[in-house]
Amino acid sequence: MDFTYTEEQKMIKDAARGFLEKACPNVEWYLDMDKDEKGFTPELWKGMAELGWMGIMFPEKYGGIGGSFLDLVVLLEEMGYAAVPGPFFSTVLLGGLAVLEAGTDAQKNDLLPKIAEGKCLLTLALTEAASTVYDPFFIETTAKAAGDNYIINGVKLFVPDANVSDVIIAAVRTSGTTGDKDGISLFLVDSKTPGVKTTLLKTTAGDKLCEVIFDAVTVSKDKILGSLNGAGAVITRVLQYAAVGKCAEMLGGSQKVMEITVAYAKERVQFGKAIGVYQAVQHHCANQKMAIEGSTYITYKAAWMLCNGLPATRIVASAKAWGSEAYKKVAAIGHQIFGGTGYIVEHPMPIYSRRAKAAEYAYGNANYHRQLVATELGL
Amino acid sequence: MAWDFGILKEEEAYRQKVADFLDKELTEEIARQSWEDLGLDVEGRAFAKKLYAAGLMGWSWPVEYGGKGLPPIYDFILIDELGKRWGAHVPNDVAYTMVGHTILRRGSAEMKKEFIPQIIQGEIEFGLGYTEPEAGSDLANMKMTAVEDGDYFVINGQKTFNTESHYSEYHWLAAKTDTKVSAYKGISLFIVDQRAPGITIRPMITMSGERTNEIFYDEVKVPKNRLVGEKNKGFYYMMEALGSERNYVFVPSRYLPYLNMIVDYAKNTTFKGIPLAENPMVRDKIAQIAVEIDMSTLLADHARWMEWNHLPMTCEPEITKVFVSEMEQRMVDSAMQILDQFCQLKEGSKWAPLNGRMEWEFLHSFMTTIGAGTSEVGRTVIAQRGLGLPRG
Ligand SMILES: Cc1cc2nc3c(=O)[nH]c(=O)nc-3n(C[C@H](O)[C@H](O)[C@H](O)COP(=O)(O)OP(=O)(O)OC[C@H]3O[C@@H](n4cnc5c(N)ncnc54)[C@H](O)[C@@H]3O)c2cc1C
Repeated sequence: MDFTYTEEQKMIKDAARGFLEKACPNVEWYLDMDKDEKGFTPELWKGMAELGWMGIMFPEKYGGIGGSFLDLVVLLEEMGYAAVPGPFFSTVLLGGLAVLEAGTDAQKNDLLPKIAEGKCLLTLALTEAASTVYDPFFIETTAKAAGDNYIINGVKLFVPDANVSDVIIAAVRTSGTTGDKDGISLFLVDSKTPGVKTTLLKTTAGDKLCEVIFDAVTVSKDKILGSLNGAGAVITRVLQYAAVGKCAEMLGGSQKVMEITVAYAKERVQFGKAIGVYQAVQHHCANQKMAIEGSTYITYKAAWMLCNGLPATRIVASAKAWGSEAYKKVAAIGHQIFGGTGYIVEHPMPIYSRRAKAAEYAYGNANYHRQLVATELGL
Repeated sequence: MAWDFGILKEEEAYRQKVADFLDKELTEEIARQSWEDLGLDVEGRAFAKKLYAAGLMGWSWPVEYGGKGLPPIYDFILIDELGKRWGAHVPNDVAYTMVGHTILRRGSAEMKKEFIPQIIQGEIEFGLGYTEPEAGSDLANMKMTAVEDGDYFVINGQKTFNTESHYSEYHWLAAKTDTKVSAYKGISLFIVDQRAPGITIRPMITMSGERTNEIFYDEVKVPKNRLVGEKNKGFYYMMEALGSERNYVFVPSRYLPYLNMIVDYAKNTTFKGIPLAENPMVRDKIAQIAVEIDMSTLLADHARWMEWNHLPMTCEPEITKVFVSEMEQRMVDSAMQILDQFCQLKEGSKWAPLNGRMEWEFLHSFMTTIGAGTSEVGRTVIAQRGLGLPRG
């Protein structure tokens, strides 16, 4: 066993910390990004591309730097720490990894180098309105064959960053019935194709979740990603990466919250003493620490298992079940210790607590993932 | 007679009268101005006067100032009925449920004559001026000073988180009148004209979009007759009022609209053809929300009952406060789990469930365990005042 980072990972971490501190300068900037239609700046995106982040996990022949999923997780942890906005997660984890997992050579050659350069943004259009309880396989959107093309019809919801994406990977039903895992296919849809309509939803985190309507969208059959009707396994795999990636972001966010909270507990004086002297406050901080210790090891273990191709269904679900609740709890404690000041919109706390809420529901909340664990237990 | 949870016929008649009036007159817009602390503006202030004109304000207040001289339960009924309809507070909340009672207890005859009728008539509101940057939980650590100078006190310093002040006529202000003695013995309360020269009010916007204020006093002259009660007794008056204030401010009926909303949602939303209402997890979560609202209603009823029977309250209103404020956070969390991904959609967004109310309540809920005293300090009060545990 080894609970340390590699030298390269330490370098990734330091570089990310330094870059993001400058790139995300202050709370006003975050609030601007919340309001901004795109939610990020061209400079930020360019800087990240120059550091090679988008291609961190792609093989060198596709313009990447040939790192592992663990390296990506290290980076995502820093992104969560900085609460960086923008389409990195959707482009790299939902888009890039789907292409890497399932793409043909031609598709990989076409897309991965562009993604690595920051010149192509992707996302995955998966969940739908009828999924009032999160279920990524509850897919009613259809693609019907028409000669060499397919015609896509349907509505997708909570599609991250679709408003800025060049390519939207649409998960559609090509056979079977709505709830089936089989019969789903993925299509690489150019977002400018006639009939694709994207509407930004207003969210608590100010992140850019969208409704995407596919209204008789024509796509040629060489845009199928992976096998016809066989996308279930690809989606499962991508969602495992996404869940663990989200855990890494949540872990980073929790650490930042704990850091500023503990610093404040040492500095804020009431009743003649730093509030960190009071046991009620100490216990809160200790609870933050305990939650985060758990998140750290379960996130890295899940990433390690995915990285090494070990069966990871249960650990991934455990990680997201734990992490979703842990981040929420850590953020709530942060608010409690900051008192009134943390409730003011210009304070960093709301940036984190609002993102904790979004992250809790991304790729299934704790209830959803506990159900997966229960299934793994044979229940 | 012991153990009686009913209310009298006359009380029920009043409740019905209030309910009928509110069902007709309380618009969503007015209710939300009060609930969201946005500031009451024109409609909200007009609504306070309307309530008075309909003969529904002041039943629990002394006859000589225009009230009916009845027990506090009438005011509690009023607040509960407002709460059931999103009208979180009486429109001039600080005046009617907090400040007014201290004026009645401690103000001079002249002060009562000037202010109480206006409060009952919904004409005036106060901003609560206690908290300062260095004085949150530790209120006695306030730095604002009021120095006697002829017929006036001259006040200097800064307040923060004074919520209603941007639309209030008056500031209910605590300041140091003796800096040489222990803080508890050197604070006085004042009624200050909120627009007096030398006062600057700056907005502070919260994460849920509510407005509160920081307020700066620069050589503000306050006439001596605006000192409340005796000089240097202010801290004592504040503490004396605290239990009663909690009884009026932490109102469990306020959560019923949320409960009703989520019940409707569960009945009317299906997944795979089955109503959410049949999902065991959904049923359990909603039932728990209801259990806690029922429970908190009883905690509140008990503490209020003590108040109107003049029984000494030690920690009972504090129990209500801590419980209700934490319940609010649990309620939001459970309700959001039922809304699942949709919970994060804001009012005005396409697909937002329940008009985005639960999302707003999520943002708001972070303040409930902080404002008006934190849960940590509250538990210390329960342990020390309620249970007699030693002070650290
Ligand atoms: C939305 C909002 C509206 C408000 N409106 C008003 C208003 O109209 N008028 C007004 O005067 N004030 C108002 N307040 C201020 C409110 O009363 C204070 O925020 C509250 O008293 C807590 O003070 P603080 O924020 O300075 O936190 P602090 O006192 O600094 O507390 C920080 C943390 O330390 C803990 N702590 C402090 N002392 C102890 C101790 N001895 N033991 C254990 N833990 C301790 C607290 O529990 C908290 O977790 C408002 C606040 C908010 C958020």
